[in-house]
Amino acid sequence: MINKNIDTQYSFKKTVRFVFFISLAFLLILVGKLFVLQILESKKYATLSDKNRIRVYPIVQRRGRIITSDGKVVAQNRQRYRLSIESCDIETFTKNFDLIASKINITDAEKTELFESRKNKPKYTPILLKDELSWDEYSKIAMIFYKLNHVSIENSFIREYLMPIEFCHVIGYTTKNKNYLQSLTGQTGIEAFADDQLVGIPGNVKIEINSVGKKMRVIDSVSPVDGEDIIITINSEIQKFIYNLLSAEKAGACVVLDITNGNVVALVSVPGFNSNPITSKISQNEWNKLLNNPLKPLINRAIGGIYPPGSVFKIVTILAALEKKVISPKDTIYCSGGVVLDGNTFHCWKRSGHGKINAYDALRFSCDCYIFEVAKKLGINAIVEYAQKLGYGSKTGIEIPNESSGLLPSKQWKLLRYGKSWKPYETIITAIGQGALLATLIQSATMMGKIYTNNYNFRPSLLIRSQRRFNDERVDPIGTANVEVIKSALYQVCNAGGTASRSCKTAYGISGKTGSSQVRKIRKGEAGMSQNAFPWHFRDHAFFVGCAPYEHPRYVVAVMVEHGGSGSATAAPIARQVFDKLMSMQDVRNTANTKNFHDNFNSVEKR
Amino acid sequence: MSRLNKARFQLFPNEFKILFVLLIFLLLIGLVGQISASNGECSVSVKKHLLRIISGFVILFAISSCRLKMFYNYAYVFYVFALLALIIVELLGIIRLGAQRWINLGILTVQPSEPMKIALILALSRYYSLLTSSEISEVKNHYIPILLILFPSLLVLKQPDLGSAFLIFCTGISIVFMSGFPKKIFATIVGMGIFSCPFSWFFLHDYQKNRILTFLDPDRDPCGTGYHVLQSKIAIGSGGFWGKGFLCSTQSKLDFLPEKNTDFIFTTITEEFGFIGGCLIILLFIFLISYFFWIAVREKTVFAKLMCGGLGVLLFLHVFVNIAMVMGVLPVVGIPLPFLSYGGSSMLTFMVSCGLIMSALADKWK
Repeated sequence: MINKNIDTQYSFKKTVRFVFFISLAFLLILVGKLFVLQILESKKYATLSDKNRIRVYPIVQRRGRIITSDGKVVAQNRQRYRLSIESCDIETFTKNFDLIASKINITDAEKTELFESRKNKPKYTPILLKDELSWDEYSKIAMIFYKLNHVSIENSFIREYLMPIEFCHVIGYTTKNKNYLQSLTGQTGIEAFADDQLVGIPGNVKIEINSVGKKMRVIDSVSPVDGEDIIITINSEIQKFIYNLLSAEKAGACVVLDITNGNVVALVSVPGFNSNPITSKISQNEWNKLLNNPLKPLINRAIGGIYPPGSVFKIVTILAALEKKVISPKDTIYCSGGVVLDGNTFHCWKRSGHGKINAYDALRFSCDCYIFEVAKKLGINAIVEYAQKLGYGSKTGIEIPNESSGLLPSKQWKLLRYGKSWKPYETIITAIGQGALLATLIQSATMMGKIYTNNYNFRPSLLIRSQRRFNDERVDPIGTANVEVIKSALYQVCNAGGTASRSCKTAYGISGKTGSSQVRKIRKGEAGMSQNAFPWHFRDHAFFVGCAPYEHPRYVVAVMVEHGGSGSATAAPIARQVFDKLMSMQDVRNTANTKNFHDNFNSVEKR
Repeated sequence: MSRLNKARFQLFPNEFKILFVLLIFLLLIGLVGQISASNGECSVSVKKHLLRIISGFVILFAISSCRLKMFYNYAYVFYVFALLALIIVELLGIIRLGAQRWINLGILTVQPSEPMKIALILALSRYYSLLTSSEISEVKNHYIPILLILFPSLLVLKQPDLGSAFLIFCTGISIVFMSGFPKKIFATIVGMGIFSCPFSWFFLHDYQKNRILTFLDPDRDPCGTGYHVLQSKIAIGSGGFWGKGFLCSTQSKLDFLPEKNTDFIFTTITEEFGFIGGCLIILLFIFLISYFFWIAVREKTVFAKLMCGGLGVLLFLHVFVNIAMVMGVLPVVGIPLPFLSYGGSSMLTFMVSCGLIMSALADKWK
């Protein structure tokens, strides 16, 4: 019965074999797929497997502090807490979020961002919700922490500036590093310049987790390396004093150098801004306000603002003429109140003229005619040569980014820039610090430093000597006799009836030079008009650069008041007050080594 | 027990030895897999698995000691009982408003789709053994077998258990093909079937549609439906050539792998034993399947031939669908890996299959 159709046996054999070979083929496909997965794509899946089970939790490092030469900490870190929720199924995630949102304020934008970023994250990846929880918020969350799953709180730090407005341009500010949330990146000032030293290295801990995000064991951990502290040469008391003094003006800047070591004792730019909100969370609105402020508070006027240096530049012209032996100090030139060149009359500021005048008096009274005549003999090339030697046209190398190099016009420059040849009148207006010439305040201060140290290599620095990176200590002397001429002339400016003698006559002896630089051509009929008669933005920039004390020159003070009118009336009195302050603080000397520094520094709570 | 013929087991022919060696290797690998799935502990599930292996052998011997004639005689009875069980499950499912795949028999729960697989093979083999070769070449004589296949397939599909329904259907159809169904007509029907596949979309449940969509595009929802397959592929792939070592798996130990001792047992083993381990398993199954077909070709009677061939196809389909689904070649349909996966019903089915093969073989030495 079973074998009824035995005649079909052969056909059975064929069909059974057929089915068998199909099965075999399919199973070999599986071997092939296994080969692809485990041999060809093994590395890819091994990485994915590690990604699955290993979570890297960063341990945030402290950014180095910034300390002034008198031991005041001006940039430090404040403890905050980072709150993150791990991506998990939407119910748990929402439950966690709602619990947290019931305790602390979370904006709609933050909420949308959080839920948006959950979508592309692998399971149990922490997503940052808030990174600057205060102690209050932290404790609120801590109270409900037992109800929360997949929520973690870690340490974080925010940058805090203790004198945010006074030091805003020197210190700069930090922003969060987009690539690595734990680190702050310096944006301007010392924060940016010394970022490598300050930033430190974040640590991390590698933890093996299971499929529900439970931490199983620590695989590996790397301790964070805190950033180095940086000591800057600024004296906080003087910096503060100058800021308060200058903030009476709309805009201006002041640089104080200690010429014995090149230290920048103060570097102020007005108006300032508060660097604290920029570092933490500044609203777009606030930021736009800063950007669009017509006074441009974000610009550091002391190193980034470029102005015609005005009469201050006469020092350069005179020194060049003396060095090139075009004049001798006692030679006189007659100033009639103007010089005619190519049919145009170039007036002295004193229309009535200074009469017979020598090099000393030319600086003392800031005579334009004398400089015009000297410049005619000297030629532009010699002026440019000495201006370059004294630091104009190039950056001083101060340790703050965005320094401007100014503009030192020359024949070559004009040809390249405008394709026109140099005109003789351009030589004489450059010689009095006008025309195309542009300089920063710190260039003028450095120029004074070079003269009073008899050293073309003098350079200002914001970092104490041991931390300086490039400092050419070589002395490149200036001719001593000629420098003495300049020095005694500058002393007369402030003491012997010169342009600044009304405000700068003191017992310790200030030497200096005033300057007023025009921002536009004087029109007919405007000559001799009071600066106060013009709208603010048409007034001259007021300059004063000076050095004191006379016997043992130590401090160079350079003041610039934007549209301040005249150097002698506006800038010089400010400089005088700065000098008085400097002289009254004898202990400013040898600042970084004094007891003062250590007293201040030790009183700061150790972090 | 006159059927326990001494001579049959005293001889213990080579054919039996081959089967036992293959079985023991596979069961040992399965046991190792079960141990590593419970993190190296001799947990309850490992003990249960061991118990099932032992009782499986008891059943295997019991079945093999029965004469093949008996299964021939009761083929339709088995079929009717299995069909009734399926209908009962369906009715219970209506009462409980949900998917129903198991019948609770007090001490053990049975998945009636499992005995159906065997019963269908027996019933079809018996039907075809009564036909002459001329009758087989007529299409109208295949109507009844096709109905025999469609009834249980549709019932299982309605449970809903797409995987088992597919398996039952394919096993039955392969027997129809092996019996000598006119090849040209068969090819045409298969062609039309493939062509009409897209239309079956409308008859699928949402979860089935989801699985198929995820299969076609695994990145569609890496945290949801695609998660299992992705984690399984990661586990297999990260095993590499030599594997991570016994009990050193991370994917299964840290619970990233779902169903690590049932449907995904192949993944658990290949993560720890790598390409070598995976190939060994596939190779052992190839040997076992070849063995089934080899017996089918050697058998003299149509009933035994078709039964052995059908059991071979059933084994092949289980192995292929399971391994293919854990490697992401096929959608996840919940088919266990024979002899290796944790679960009584599947173990029972294949132990019975082996018993039937032995019974068929033993008939010759009687």
